[in-house]
Amino acid sequence: MTLDTQKKFLPLPCCPCPFWDPTYAADLPFHPACELAWLRCRRSFQPFLTNKRTLTSRRGTQHMRNPPVKAQVTSLPASLVRCAGPLTLRRSFMQIGLTGMATLSLPGLLKLRAENAASPKSERKSIIMVWLPGGMSHVDTYDPKPNASSEYRGPFKTINTKVPGTIFTELLPMNAKIADKFTIVRSMNQTAGGHPAGTMQMFSGDPDTRDKPKPRFPDWMSVAHYLRSKEGGRVNPLPNYIGVPASSPEYSSAAYLGDAYAPFAVSDDPNRPNFQVPNIGLADEAETRRLSDRLALRRSLDTLERAFDREGELGALDEFEAQAATLLTNPNTRDAFDLSKEDPATRDRYGRNRWGQQLLLARRLVEAGVEIVTSNLNGPLCGRVRNWDDHAVNQHQFEALRFRMPTYDRCVSALIEDIYARGLDKKVLVVVTGEFGRTPKISFDRSTGPGDASGPTGTLQPGRDHWPRAFTSLWAGGGIQTGGVIGASDKRGEDVIEHPHNASDFLATIYHHLGIDYSKTTINDLNGRPVHIVSNGRAIPGLVT
Amino acid sequence: MIRQLLFMSVVLVLCLSLQAEEPLSFVLDIQPILTKAGCNAGACHAKAITGQRGFRLSVLGFEPQEDYEAIVKQCKGRRVFPPAPEESLLITKGAAIVPHTGGKKLEPSSEEYRTLVRWIAEGMPYMQPNEPELKEITVEPSRITLKPETSQQLKVTAHYSNGSSRDVTKLALFEANDSAMASATVSGLVNTLDLPGNVGVMVRFGGKVSVCSIIIPLGAPVDQLLPERNFIDQHVFANLKQVGIPPSPICDDGTFLRRVSLDIGGRLPTLDETKAFLADKSSDKRDRAVEALLNSPDYADYFANKWTSLLKNQRAEAADITANFAFHAWMRDNLLANTPYDQLVREILASTGTIVSNPPVAWYKRVKESTTQVEDVAQLFLGVRMQCAQCHHHPFERWTQAEYYHLAAFFSQIGRKPTAIAGEDLIFHKRGIAQSEHRKTGVMLKPAGLGEPPLDIAPDDDPRLALADWMAQKENPFFAKALVNRYWKHFFKRGLIEPEDDLRDTNPPTNPELLDAMAKHFTDSNYDLKSLIRVIAQSHTYQLSAMTNEHNAIDRQAFSHFYPKRLSAEVLLDSIDMTTVSKTDFADLPPGTRAISLPDNSYTKASPFLKVFGRPDNASVCECERVQSASLAQSLHLMNASDVKAKLTATNGRAEKLAKSEVPSAEGIREIYLTAFSREPSREELSIAEDYLNKPRNDAQDKPIDPARAKRMAYEDLLWAIVNTKEFLFNH
Repeated sequence: MTLDTQKKFLPLPCCPCPFWDPTYAADLPFHPACELAWLRCRRSFQPFLTNKRTLTSRRGTQHMRNPPVKAQVTSLPASLVRCAGPLTLRRSFMQIGLTGMATLSLPGLLKLRAENAASPKSERKSIIMVWLPGGMSHVDTYDPKPNASSEYRGPFKTINTKVPGTIFTELLPMNAKIADKFTIVRSMNQTAGGHPAGTMQMFSGDPDTRDKPKPRFPDWMSVAHYLRSKEGGRVNPLPNYIGVPASSPEYSSAAYLGDAYAPFAVSDDPNRPNFQVPNIGLADEAETRRLSDRLALRRSLDTLERAFDREGELGALDEFEAQAATLLTNPNTRDAFDLSKEDPATRDRYGRNRWGQQLLLARRLVEAGVEIVTSNLNGPLCGRVRNWDDHAVNQHQFEALRFRMPTYDRCVSALIEDIYARGLDKKVLVVVTGEFGRTPKISFDRSTGPGDASGPTGTLQPGRDHWPRAFTSLWAGGGIQTGGVIGASDKRGEDVIEHPHNASDFLATIYHHLGIDYSKTTINDLNGRPVHIVSNGRAIPGLVT
Repeated sequence: MIRQLLFMSVVLVLCLSLQAEEPLSFVLDIQPILTKAGCNAGACHAKAITGQRGFRLSVLGFEPQEDYEAIVKQCKGRRVFPPAPEESLLITKGAAIVPHTGGKKLEPSSEEYRTLVRWIAEGMPYMQPNEPELKEITVEPSRITLKPETSQQLKVTAHYSNGSSRDVTKLALFEANDSAMASATVSGLVNTLDLPGNVGVMVRFGGKVSVCSIIIPLGAPVDQLLPERNFIDQHVFANLKQVGIPPSPICDDGTFLRRVSLDIGGRLPTLDETKAFLADKSSDKRDRAVEALLNSPDYADYFANKWTSLLKNQRAEAADITANFAFHAWMRDNLLANTPYDQLVREILASTGTIVSNPPVAWYKRVKESTTQVEDVAQLFLGVRMQCAQCHHHPFERWTQAEYYHLAAFFSQIGRKPTAIAGEDLIFHKRGIAQSEHRKTGVMLKPAGLGEPPLDIAPDDDPRLALADWMAQKENPFFAKALVNRYWKHFFKRGLIEPEDDLRDTNPPTNPELLDAMAKHFTDSNYDLKSLIRVIAQSHTYQLSAMTNEHNAIDRQAFSHFYPKRLSAEVLLDSIDMTTVSKTDFADLPPGTRAISLPDNSYTKASPFLKVFGRPDNASVCECERVQSASLAQSLHLMNASDVKAKLTATNGRAEKLAKSEVPSAEGIREIYLTAFSREPSREELSIAEDYLNKPRNDAQDKPIDPARAKRMAYEDLLWAIVNTKEFLFNH
């Protein structure tokens, strides 16, 4: 036997089944010589796998730290040999990635910006995240379990969708009609059971499961905002990160990036007839004229020598001042927020209510060149406690869903349809999720107060509690392949049994869409320590283009 | 290399032909290749916990044993394959023969590639018998003057325990500490850019570091140096002469008064102060101004604000208020009384008792874990960032994990007893042997200062006192330097070492002699903080104009002119209040309380102004928590926010008063200029402003506005324009 053939048929001992090693990751390709060996031995390893690692875990959250390997097994062998490959790297990201340990000071940033300003930009992607604070009950919506017992199932019937084989509950008729325009991930899971920690995990990837008053890490929105502004070259005067309104502002922040990267928040109800955004456009003609006068006066008085400006500090300030002046006086920037410019039929399609007009505004903003938009679906439209936190003590789970889902179904389906209709589907990624799902097993408790979707105090009513072990997220646009279902939860919706994806994967997918190299990019915290924007996550394969 | 040569000569003597190469060792030959290729960079396989795709190496290869384990034994030995070495995953991945997310790191034609292959073929030895140990690395040249936009090849030599040495330039890593001034290629070629000054290029190999200090002269003639006021000028001017950057002239009186009042008192000079100062013709008026400021409560307010923020005087809950107020008041009183700095630090470090009886105990309320205590003390008082060494060898420094835990041992005997106030403990020294467990080895380590031998501390003695003793020794290489560098930065915008709390061999100061002299002055004065500020503020270096001459505009670190600084959030708010004659109300504090004297971070929440301008949350020991960069939100806020608008139009505010008074508009403009800029308006400015004030105004319907109202509006506009100018927003 020549050496060459020897190499092709290496004996097994050098290359045992990779699943023996828990630290082994799925995309490490095979030793080329071992691929055949693997294919041969695959069958003999199968029993071992199913015995040693149960495909479905009942241990829940604890288990999720070491996700079950089932996904890896089922996706063999193609995905094993497949490699994500280098992502499109922008120069600035490369620099940060490669000199990860070096600090990037403000002057450094400005320098980097100035350098990058000259380089041509590839098409920039945008993202709209629709946030459901409190968490949507997955089993009552996108992941129905019609065969589960009545303690789990809930009262809603299932309906077929445009995609054969995919079913939703009857609460989502409009979503069902356009199920070919989005992909749902039924195997989302994370490890934090409280609203603060769960939200922080989803937003920033913080693995800490304890609830903290404030996030330790910046959320993905501010990270993206920060990286994008560092990249420079954006001429649009509109802020690049807008919250309509900001999503869970109490549990998310720009942390060590500083408030400069916090969202521009639109907190007013866009459905109000006299809806207004402060600081975007001035209310009346006289005010605008006065500001113009003031600006002119300042221009003539602001004569401070600029020769000392080596670090571009004054330059940066000038830039922001010009942007602020434009925002205040330029009618075009106001237009981006002016929903009266929309066709009334479109406004109706989204729903003439707060959520509908919020999402319409979000769409208008990405169209006007804003790159990061989040929208929080909360408030009275949710029911008594004004969010999705459907504990029995808060509100009647099923009444609450009946109460709010028509609004939800209408506005989310309208947004997705609209994104495709306007040809924004390659550029704009729409993500809908909350921090977790709701407990599949229904619990009963006494209402703590009456209100929309809640009985009088003391009424025994059903509810569902926090459930991070399995939940569903929705993805549309962004050029992804749609009409799919990724992953699965078990027959009761309690645990993920296929293709588990955690918060890091969620973040990685978002960053990937924005063209940010999540595996390498680090940002220094206040101690100068480089912190990875995603730790050990991987863009969800079915959502990557 | 030398080893190879020696071996080769033996080979030749024995008349054996062809190649006979010395056996390779992982530690000596392989690890440097992996480091050079970046395999064990933090962003790649040295990523915490899991490495990259399950293959984990130690950060920059400081733990060769672990890395050897990972490469040779983990993953069932799949990463190396001696029978066919070139098929080893280590090789095929590195050379991107099979897909590798990290890309191609190894050229199949390179020497490194051949070395790796040979090492696997030889059976992957960890070390050779009697293998020498790497003692140090040296870089040549280690100090050099290089013209802008030139290059210089560095040579790195590794010295081993058996006296041998070899050229490791090819395997060493190079990094300039200021990428705007110089860059270094992978092969060690240093290229200077167009900025003059001092820059260091850090060289790393095999866990050892060295540095090449480079002076990049501008080479302009420096003939007319100003007279030297004190040792600061002596060192700064000597450096300016060396790098050939002519300094700017001394700034005018108004600029000086505004500058020094902002830097020492955290406020603008008052109208009366400015008028008196400008009228004063005596020669020592600047010194007297410095003295007056140092003795004013404003000094204590301003620096207490700075220190309590770094010492994390944070209001997490409403009940913290007593602790917050007590700690802030304690700090302020001590600054006012000018307690020596070493004493101040000792009282915080070794504090015992309750917060009410002994306010510095508040630090232990906020900083509870011994790891945070070590890290905060090291960074704040020693200027050493130890965070990295908690989990691995410091990547840029000589600090090992052991040194971290030696330092942590000082904090191992802190006892806590709950008090009647929830969350507040009584702090006491818990009798016992001070020691702390090394996270990796599990060995118990005794207390030791950085780079010092371990101490034997009797069970009855509080180890924290021993730490304070070590810190306050005059020969302590960190304590005084960290403070003077921090204060230098406060006044000059840029530290002699940047970042100001990152003192290390591989991050050399831009003017080492000056730093040493400042530290000496500080220790000689018995850690007198006011004396340090005095010597800084009196120096001509501090009094240089911010205006640049034809040569020195390019300078960013030689202090040839004053570098303008943005006013911080609190100072800016107070300055706007002073200029517009208005007040900001803070909940539960007496009316008229200035932002600069706020005791803790809780007031930021209620003040959009302070928030948007980056007042820190007192959560970090780093001054960088205070974001000093510009943002869109800030610009919008200054231009159009309701709180700023309210100040412009305040009842009894400056606009109203000036509009109502009979003083001619020129006088009103003078008053505004003197308050905001501490100078008279120029003739041109005066005429622009006068024209604006006297211009008739029409409303939206183009109907003329009543002249009294129009005048008030015009004053408001003028104030708006003034507080929105760069001259106002900067201390220059």
